[in-house]
Amino acid sequence: MAAINHPYGQRRSLPVPVRLPGVNGWVLAAIVIAGLAAMLPVLQNSTATSRGFQVQRLDAEQTRINGELRLLEADVAQLTSLPRIQRRAAEIGLGPGETPIYVTISEPGPAPAKIPSEYLPGPAPKTDEPESWWQSLLKWVHLGQ
Amino acid sequence: MTQRGHGTRRVWLPAAFLGAFALVILGRLVQLQVLQHDAYARQTREEQTADSTFYARRGSILDRNGNVLAASVDTWNVYISGRTWRAPERSGPASDQLAKFLRMDPAAIRAMVANKNGDVLIARDVDYETGHAIAAAEIPGVVLLPDSKRVNPEGDVGASVLGLTGLDNTGLAGIELSHNGDLLGKPGKAVYERDTTGDPIPFGRSVVEEPRPGTDLVLTIDRYLQQMAEQKLDAAVKEHRAQGGSVIMMDPHTGEILALASSPGLKYSSLDLSDKKQVELLKNRAVTDLYEPGSVMKVVTAAAAIDQGVVTPDTSYVDTGEIRLYDVTIKNWDDRVYGTQTMTGVLQNSINTGAVFMVEKLGQPLFHKYLDAFGFGRTTGIDLSGEAEGIIRKPEDEHLEPPWSPVDLATQSFGQSISVTPIQMLSAIAACINGGMLMKPHLVRATIDEHGVRHDIAPTAEGRAISAETSATIRMMLEKVVNPGWPDPMQPRNYTAGGKSGTANVPVASGYDDRQIASFVEFAPTDDPKLIVLVKLDQNQDLLTGRVAAAPVAAAILDDALNYLNVLPSADAKQVRR
Repeated sequence: MAAINHPYGQRRSLPVPVRLPGVNGWVLAAIVIAGLAAMLPVLQNSTATSRGFQVQRLDAEQTRINGELRLLEADVAQLTSLPRIQRRAAEIGLGPGETPIYVTISEPGPAPAKIPSEYLPGPAPKTDEPESWWQSLLKWVHLGQ
Repeated sequence: MTQRGHGTRRVWLPAAFLGAFALVILGRLVQLQVLQHDAYARQTREEQTADSTFYARRGSILDRNGNVLAASVDTWNVYISGRTWRAPERSGPASDQLAKFLRMDPAAIRAMVANKNGDVLIARDVDYETGHAIAAAEIPGVVLLPDSKRVNPEGDVGASVLGLTGLDNTGLAGIELSHNGDLLGKPGKAVYERDTTGDPIPFGRSVVEEPRPGTDLVLTIDRYLQQMAEQKLDAAVKEHRAQGGSVIMMDPHTGEILALASSPGLKYSSLDLSDKKQVELLKNRAVTDLYEPGSVMKVVTAAAAIDQGVVTPDTSYVDTGEIRLYDVTIKNWDDRVYGTQTMTGVLQNSINTGAVFMVEKLGQPLFHKYLDAFGFGRTTGIDLSGEAEGIIRKPEDEHLEPPWSPVDLATQSFGQSISVTPIQMLSAIAACINGGMLMKPHLVRATIDEHGVRHDIAPTAEGRAISAETSATIRMMLEKVVNPGWPDPMQPRNYTAGGKSGTANVPVASGYDDRQIASFVEFAPTDDPKLIVLVKLDQNQDLLTGRVAAAPVAAAILDDALNYLNVLPSADAKQVRR
């Protein structure tokens, strides 16, 4: 057997890999999942609390707006009340009318104001459609009986 | 052996002790979690849950044209925690701050809270914006609780019809009382889990029942006509120095009340319920108070007699000025002798003996049957509380004092021995002239539900009182009463009208005294009556009759009201001028 020259002369031993403590990938994954699971209720609770405050704030806002709406309705009613209209009329020099004079005229009254077509009711559904020949036939047979 | 024995004891004694202890704990756990589970679970729920009530918005009351007569607005009640304000260094600045909002004296606020531990009500129904400003100021010890109050934009107009609500927002009088169930709505309720501060836990278990707002009511009342009726009544009461009175305007075909005024009546501007006299004003005298109608009743007598065919408008009889019945002499109101008269003349001259003539032809059973058909002796069903039924003396009533006699029938024919309410009398005369149907008088025309949907209320016919032909005949006869052929204050300026006056003394235990009630019922136009009006003056000191005191008021009301309602003047009315 031929001797093989060793390029480095004396044989050196190969480095031994360092063995880390046995950390299993599954264990790591479990720890991450457990951590996330632990965080989840915290996140949920935090979100729920902030949403709850938002709901309460919106409820309060709705109540406030409803209250203001009723207040405004009462204001409108107050401003259009009969005593106020009469007081304002007196201020601008208007008073109750005297005995009305009714005049009979031969001319027709003014034409009614034109209403935009979009506010007019749609065309009435057609009810008098001509009967088809077979409907007429059925009717004829029925009458024939 | 001995050592082993000691060792065994050292083990089993603590073990036995711990075991026994564990058993006790286990037993207790079983007791708490199994045996008493339900009780403790309930206790926990009670501890963790809270409930609150949301009051529903009270419905608004509108007039027939949609104008608001009564509405609710949100307010705040301001409370102060007495315990928080016990320290002067805290109550001083806080009271100064609060007083600015409430426009009160700070010392007065401190005096209200002094020596009190609980919450003290400082101001009720503080307006909504002020309440928000107080809340924003975060004054220590100040607590705001939501409330609502009723506002009446039209002021005192229609107050006696609308009535009022109490501090708890329920109706006490008028429409507010009679329709309280509709107006009140249904309060909502929330049951929820709460945290340690008492606030709801977000997304915790909760049951929420939304409040259902009250129904809005659309009345048959017209605010302009109501104001007119009240003003004309007040003027007439003053002019004739009357103790009070009533004015009612009604659509004779539907029974819709367009105006209903009573004097003295409820006025919000001067309301003081600690005054007993003012408490009396809570009732609407037009439906609660009885009176003897006097000669207005002759219209009913004539309608019954003509409907039954025992007389016609032209049937004649001879008036001798008086009739002797048993030991009673019945005379005409003016002691006059009218001689030969037709039935139309009986109404024109308001002859008592003529009314007795008609009722004798008719007979007691038939006359009382017609009184029943015209709605006398029972409530009309108008939507106001406290309505009186009226009193009719009848032979079958055994407990009458004095007992029934045929004289009662005679006097009933011209409106004595019978007590009615103004609303009954108006409904009966409306039936005489509207084609013969007795319509139920009503004040509510429609309701508007929480979704804004309007539900109209159809008029209710109580039944036919007389035929349409008889009704047309009565209209013609009553037109001749108002228009005898010469100008008269009874006549409206622009419309043909028919009507009848009544003047009756006030009955007392011994008979009748000098006090009187003057009334007039009038309708127009005669060919198609659009409006019928009753004017009644109680105990007018000038002792003028219904024809003189009440008729001009009715005529003026018809003129103005029909003009307002765009009813064209009658062509024939130009012949007469007041």
